[in-house]
This record gives sequence, C-alpha cells and structure tokens, in this order.
Amino acid sequence: MKRKLVAAAGMMTLTVTLAACGDDGSSGAGGGGSSDSITVWLMDGSAPETWVSELNAAFEAEHGVEVNLEIQQWDGVQDRVTTALSEDGTVDVLEIGNTQTVGYANTGGLADLGDFADEPWNEAMLSSARVDDTLYAVPWYGANRVVIYDRGIWEEAGAEVPTTRDEWIAALEAIEANTDAEPIYLPGQSYYVMGGFIADEGGNFAVEDGDSWAGALNTPAGEAGMDFYGQLQAFSNSPTDIDEASPQQSTEVVPSGNVASWIGLGWEAAGAIAAIEEQGGEADFGYFPIPGVTADQLGHVFLGGSNLAVSERAGNSELANEWLRMATSQEWAQRYVDANAGGVVPNRTDVTAEPEPGSFAEAMVASADVGFLPPLTTGWANVETEPNPIKELMTKALNGEDYQGAAEEADAEITDRINRE
Amino acid sequence: MTVDIEEASPAPSRGTPRGGRAAPGSGGRWRPPGGWVPYLLVAPAVLAMLAVLGYALVRNLVISFQAFGRRQLISRTTEWTGLDNYRTVLENDRFWDSLFRTVAFMAVNVVLIMLIGTLIGLLLNQLGRRMRLLLAISLVAAWAMPVIASTTVFRWLFDTQFGVANWAMRGLGFEGYEQHNWFASGTSTLAIVTALIVWASVPFVALNLYAGLTTISGEIYEAARMDGASGWRVFWSIVAPIMRPFFLITTFLEIIWVFKAFVQIYALNGGGPDRGSETLPVMAYIEGMGQNQYGTGAAISVLTLLILLVAMSFYFRLILRQEKENEAV
Amino acid sequence: MNTRTLGRLWRNGVALLLAAVFLFPVYWMFSTSFKSNSQVLTRDPVFFFTPTFEHYSTATGVELFWTYVTNSVLVTLGAVLLALVVALAASFALARMRFRGRRGMVLAVMMAQMAPWEVLIIVVYLNARDLSMLNSLGTLVLVYFVMALPFTIWTLRGFIAAVPRELEEAALIDGCDRFQAFRRVIFPLLAPGLMATSLFGFIMAWNEYAMVLVLNKAPDAATLPLWLTQFQTNFGNDWGATMAASSLFTVPVLIVFLILQRRVTGGLAAGAVKG
Repeated sequence: MKRKLVAAAGMMTLTVTLAACGDDGSSGAGGGGSSDSITVWLMDGSAPETWVSELNAAFEAEHGVEVNLEIQQWDGVQDRVTTALSEDGTVDVLEIGNTQTVGYANTGGLADLGDFADEPWNEAMLSSARVDDTLYAVPWYGANRVVIYDRGIWEEAGAEVPTTRDEWIAALEAIEANTDAEPIYLPGQSYYVMGGFIADEGGNFAVEDGDSWAGALNTPAGEAGMDFYGQLQAFSNSPTDIDEASPQQSTEVVPSGNVASWIGLGWEAAGAIAAIEEQGGEADFGYFPIPGVTADQLGHVFLGGSNLAVSERAGNSELANEWLRMATSQEWAQRYVDANAGGVVPNRTDVTAEPEPGSFAEAMVASADVGFLPPLTTGWANVETEPNPIKELMTKALNGEDYQGAAEEADAEITDRINRE
Repeated sequence: MTVDIEEASPAPSRGTPRGGRAAPGSGGRWRPPGGWVPYLLVAPAVLAMLAVLGYALVRNLVISFQAFGRRQLISRTTEWTGLDNYRTVLENDRFWDSLFRTVAFMAVNVVLIMLIGTLIGLLLNQLGRRMRLLLAISLVAAWAMPVIASTTVFRWLFDTQFGVANWAMRGLGFEGYEQHNWFASGTSTLAIVTALIVWASVPFVALNLYAGLTTISGEIYEAARMDGASGWRVFWSIVAPIMRPFFLITTFLEIIWVFKAFVQIYALNGGGPDRGSETLPVMAYIEGMGQNQYGTGAAISVLTLLILLVAMSFYFRLILRQEKENEAV
Repeated sequence: MNTRTLGRLWRNGVALLLAAVFLFPVYWMFSTSFKSNSQVLTRDPVFFFTPTFEHYSTATGVELFWTYVTNSVLVTLGAVLLALVVALAASFALARMRFRGRRGMVLAVMMAQMAPWEVLIIVVYLNARDLSMLNSLGTLVLVYFVMALPFTIWTLRGFIAAVPRELEEAALIDGCDRFQAFRRVIFPLLAPGLMATSLFGFIMAWNEYAMVLVLNKAPDAATLPLWLTQFQTNFGNDWGATMAASSLFTVPVLIVFLILQRRVTGGLAAGAVKG
C-alpha cells in the first residue's frame, strides 16, 4: 500500500508539471497571438490536401511565418466556432458556411473585410457574405445538387434524360415498370431539395415581413413544392424521417444497391463511386441538372458553399488578411477549382471551371445560375439547427398529415427562431 | 435504519447494531477533537467545489437574468432582462410537457432499473461460480462501454432499414417489420431510450446488491429455511431490511442520474420525432446551446434544479435526521 | 430429476439469457470493428465474416493520436488522484469529527451530486475563458476532479464510518498519533472504497466529451473522446473506424474493471450501505 501511495504521489507531480507544460505549449501553438504564426480553421473535407499544403508553403515562404492549419470536425463545430470567436487569438482565418455567415457577422465576431470589396466576386455568392454593404467574409466555393443516375438501369428501362418535371416523373415510372430497381432514392427530409421546388414556384422558406421575418411554408408555393417532393419520394423506398446524411446516401445506400437515381453533391457522387469500386463493382453514373417545371428553365437548386472570414479577435489581423488575399487570389482560386476537377462553382468571375463533358461538374455548373439561397438573416442558422422544423414538416406531410396544419406549426416555429439573434 | 452491514468492509466483523460508529459503551469514552483540524481537512474540498461548481452555478444564475446569446458571448457585452427568460420558459407549453414527460420517464426507468437490478443481484447470489462469473463479466462489459458507442449500436439495432431488431422480428415470422420504424413516435423513442438506460444502469445496481448480499451470513438463510420461510418471505424479512440503506442511496442516485440523462436521449433521436421525446435536459440543450440562447438555457436549468431539490427534499430530511442521530451519540 | 436440479437448470438458463442480452451490444461493437465497410449496414446482418484490421489502423493512424492518448491518461489520472486525496481528508472529517457546519456540508455534498454539468458547460467555459485557463490540461483536471468529488466523498465517508472506532483507539493507545492511526489502521481498510471511487471517477473523466470540446480547442490539448467522434462526418460515417476506436477506448476500462471488480463491488456496496 505504501509503495502504491508513493507511486500515486509521483504521478501527481508529473501530472501537475505536464499540465503546466500543456498550458504554455498551447498558448504558443494554438493561439495566433504571436506574430510568427497564424491559425486557419477549415472544415473537414473542404480543401484538397495538395492545394492547401502548397498554398501554405507558398505563404510561409513569402511572409516567413508559420500557418497552423486546424481541420475542424463537423460534430459540435457550432459551439467551437462560437466560443473561438470570443477568444483572443484562438483563430485568425476561418471557414463559415454561406447560410451561417450573416449570423456570425451580426455577433461582432467577424472582421470588416472592406479591402476585399472590389475583387470580381461571383455576385450570387457575395450576397451571403455581406450585411448592409459591409463585407464580413469573402466567397470561397459554391456547390449545388444534381440528379445522379445509373446509366445501365436507365437504359434497361428505356428511360430518357428528362428536361421537365413531367418527363422526370415519366422516366421514374418507366424504371418502376420495367426494372426491379428503386427509381429514385430520396429520403424524407432532404429539405434543400424541397426548397428548390418551392423556389421554382417563386417561394422561399421564409419571407421578410416589415422589420422581421416570417415562415412561409403555409403558402401555395410551399404546398406545391412539398407536393412535387412527395410525388418523387413515392418512388423511393427510403423512410420519411431521415435526411440524406444518416444513413449517408452516397456511401451507405447507393453502393449497396439497385438505386436507379438520387440527388446529390459532387463529393457524394465521388464517394459513391469510390465505395462501389471498393466493393469490386464499377459505377456507371450519368448526371443531369434538376429539371424545371418547363423545358426553358432548369429547376432551382440550393447554392451551398462556404465563405472565408477573419476573426475580429484574430491574433494577427494583418497576416490573416494576407493569407485570405492569397487564398482567394485569381491564381489560387483557379488552382482550387482545378484541384476539385471543376466540381465546385468558382468564387470569382475571372476563374473558369472547365468541366469534362458528361461529368458531374458539367451538370452542376449548368444549374448554378438558378441557384437559390435561404433567407440570409442572423436567425437562419437557428432554423437549421436540430430539431429542424422544416424536416419535421416534411415527414408529417409525407406520412399523410394535413399539409396546411403542419405547415402552420412549422411557420410558427420558423418565425420564432429566425427573428432570434 | 436498523442494521448496518459491517461485513461489507474488510473490517473485522463485530455484528453490533449501528456498527462501530455507535457501539454501546465506546462512543462515550472517546471524543473526537474539535478546533481547526476538521476545517483544515474539509477546506480543499470546499474550496474546489466553491471555485468550480459554486462559481459556475452563480454565473449560471446570473446569466439566467440576461439576454445572453452568441452576440453577448462573442462581444462580451451584458444585457439585463430581469425575469424575461423565466417568463418565456414558464409560458412555453413545451416546458410543462417536458417536465411531465421527464417525471414519467424517470419513474418508469428507476422502477425498472431497481427491479431488474435487484432480481439479477439475487440471481447472482444463487448461481454457481462459473455462471456467476460469466454473468458478472457481461454486466461489467455493458457498464464499461462508452456512451457514444452504445448509443450508436442501439441506433443501429433499431434502424428502420438495416436494424437487427427488424431482421429478428422478420426472422421470427412477424408481419409488418419490413421497414418498421421504431422511432416513429415520442413514446416508442422513449421506450428504446429506456431499454438503453436500463441496460446500462442495471449492472451498477445488480453488482452492488450482490456484493452486499455476500455479506449476509449463510446461517441466517439456513435458520430462516429451517423455520420454513419461503424465498419471498426470506427476501422481505431478511434481505430487504438489511439492504435498506443500500436501496435508499441507490434509488436516490438513479433518480438523479435518470433525471439528468441527456446524451442517450439526444443521440438516439434528438428529442424527436416532433420533439415528442424531449425531456428537460434535452430541452435545456436545444433551447440553450442549440439556439445560442444561453440565458434561456440557464433559466431552464435553474428551474430544473429547483424542481429536483423540492422533489428530493424528503430524502435530504432523512439524511439530516440520520446525521443528527449520529451526532447525538 | 429432482426439483433442486431443475431449479439450477432454470437459473442457469436465465443467467445465460441475461448474459447474452447484456453482452450483445458490446459484441456488436467489437464485431463491427472487424467488418469491412460493406458488411456494416446491410438488410440482413452479417454474423460470419473474415475479420479485417484496417479500421484499427485507420483509428490509430490519426494525426496526434498519441498526444490524445497521453492527454487522456494524464487528465484522467490527475483528476482521479486529486479527487481521492481531497475526498479522503474531507470524508475523514465528515465521518469522524464533530464541528460546526458538518451537517450542512454533508447536505451540500449530497446536493452537489445533482449538479447539471451538461448545462453548466457554457458557464464553466466562460469562467475558464475569463481566467485565461483555456487549452490547458490543468483546467480539465480541475473540472473533472470536482465532477467526481461529491460521489467520492460520499462513498469514502461511508467506508470510514464503517471502520470500528475501537481499532483506531487501540492504535492511539499504542502510541500512534492521529495521523499515524489513520494511515496504519483506517487507510488499509479503505482499499475497496478507494478502488470503487477511483473507478467511478475514471470512467467519468475518461468519457467526458462536451466540456473538452469547447474548453480545449487547440489540437495538442485534446483528449480521446474528441478522437472518437472524428470518424463520423458529414461526408459519411466510417462506422468500422468508429467501432474500432470505441473498442480500443473501452478495453482499458474493461481491463481495469475486471481486475478490480471483486474489490470494487464490495467497495461500492459498503459505501452505499453506510449512506
């Protein structure tokens, strides 16, 4: 017993000493407070590894400072970003989703990036980074969804690539009739896909109402959008109470089977192809933009993407701005698009994406012009936070509940949340 | 409290009622020292609890009277709003629904945990050596599994498309389990959460009860059996009274633990569907952290704590009375 | 077959069934960690397969993995040992001495077990931020230590109270001073209680996720629970790696548990009984 106690006491001293070391070490390494390094937070999966390491090497060579790249996991990131913005020098440059940027801008946590205002940004993307003409972030990349289909199954069914909603439904009916495949995999809660259908009708999730915002799902546009979503979803075997991420449609659903088509992003298509190849199969995917109501206009798609911002409490704002300038310069923006094989919507008009014919990127870029964004308000992030009222409405509507009643409830919740800071 | 189990500790057994604390004739002779020594001994604990827990509770109370969101957190500003947060919470039907749900959920869970735990504890006491070890190891493994893994596994087991539960039901020939959704309603979600929490909590009760039972000498059972007492009778007249303090403290701990349960409920279905499985801790998290309304979250937690204090007051009285008796010796 | 054998058969049957019920989720975690990704989520669960170890190399191949291991071990041990030492002193005073405020403190320890830590994260964070104590293992040790302290005091107090006073008196008569009497007589008898409470603290600190998520954002100050979640991303969940990591994460607890199990359960019961 005595020996154990001695060992315990020894361990204690060790812990205390090391804890003290941890203290010192991190304020040097983690904090950008020192002048010879900056800290950059990018989300897991956003930056191709070669691009970011070459960029940082170039930056370090030019400025003689170290760039601490810290890749953030998605789990719990909201709490981490919020708290990090309240700390001095924890982060200098950070990636923020385009639907979240305005909310963070209004907290006072993001620095004014007025110096960057005159660059030739993609106008549609810019709107998500600006509050009352002040620029709080700069666009980094955009992405939107397309329909991904299995050429083999479509051929077998004799289905044609559609250009209107009616043709789309007809193609799915043909697949249902002529093959044993699932015509389309569409989980019940893919709310940005549904938002596109609402935008096709001229609506949105919420509308401005004087000084405040109000949920706008209990509207003819909302009901029509949900109705078309329901028509598509009827072709799917998916449960109505899940979204596309759980199970992850690209790696957990599509590869295991017999899915004739699905709606996804570029990295999802790539993930599905990799998973199918891992199983020894071969993916034979074709891509088309989401069809519109009529042939002369494509369907609206949610313009997803990310912006880059500088923390108001950055340890070294000047260097942070320099890094941002370099990363979003014509040269490095072009290299970014190239590193993604044209699979992203470029952030600048002087950057070109030249997708290969028949590729995902080609279909994606085609409908980027009819991109839509959700209401860009401080409170929009609150609406998207789980439990998400739009998702709940979708499940109820698909399960046969009265749309208007459920939509009224959802609107009340959206109105409540969107007007919060 | 009638008898304490001296034998549970490795101390030499004396078998006197009230144990060493109040052994007749000994308490009077020996007086513990007063003065500053006891204060010195408790000082580190008191200081640490005040500095970390006390300070946090005070600050929690303070921000419950503020509009405290992301902007205030990041810009470090203060906006007093008086009782607004409390008013919002108390006027919200969801708060009362959640409170009712939490109490019902807690009651069901604690009853199940105590019941199943006791039965397994009694069973452990009656098994042969090898079977006992097997069952004990299984219980220990369940206890040790990290929550993140156990919630993921439970989520899978009851998955609509790929769940083992649906597969097993199909295999057993039940109809309608092609794609049965086990999380279709708040009640069924809470039933699964209950399975998870009971599964994870029973080992604590069962193993401890068993450990306590081993300290009851076999002779007592023999004597009871000679008198022709049934197993039921033996339990109520011998085991239950001896283990009464054990049941009291364990029930208290389980009540608190289940009342506070958050990760299991949130991870399984996020308090859904349609907020139907939302208990108070889940609500405090969703409205507080999730919506960045930390002031509101703080108000909910203060109210929760008050409710819990009132509900547990009978127990605190019990503890205080017991302390008084001990001191009176 | 007489009723006695029947009874035993019946009991063994029930025990086997219970063991299976309790082990199944654990078994599922371990078995998934050896499955290839295409075998993880399938309509008909896979029970027999050729094991793969790739998930283990994925899980341990994470950058800074060994830093996380070191941090977790240091923080857990630090919190547990600190809790033991501090609780030992306090519980001795509470069990054996008479002083003003003693009952109040007993009540406070009881109530402290009700602390809603999940909700207090943000205020603990604010306090740490304002005192410049972020990204520090020392802060984590302090917080986890206080989280474990009430239960530790409560249980140890029960143990000390269970030690007959006569033993201590005898030591005093033999010429020991108070401290020596404690060290030579009471302390050895507390072994099961120390084991039990340290295990409780160990599991709590080892598993804690929500606090470290916001308190320690610098990668070199992170702990293993953060590592556990990184295989579940928006881009698909690497279930195999998650389960491999969880298995690795469980094994130390399991080993400690199995070694201490006998003393531990004895320990908890004695503490609890004295409640």
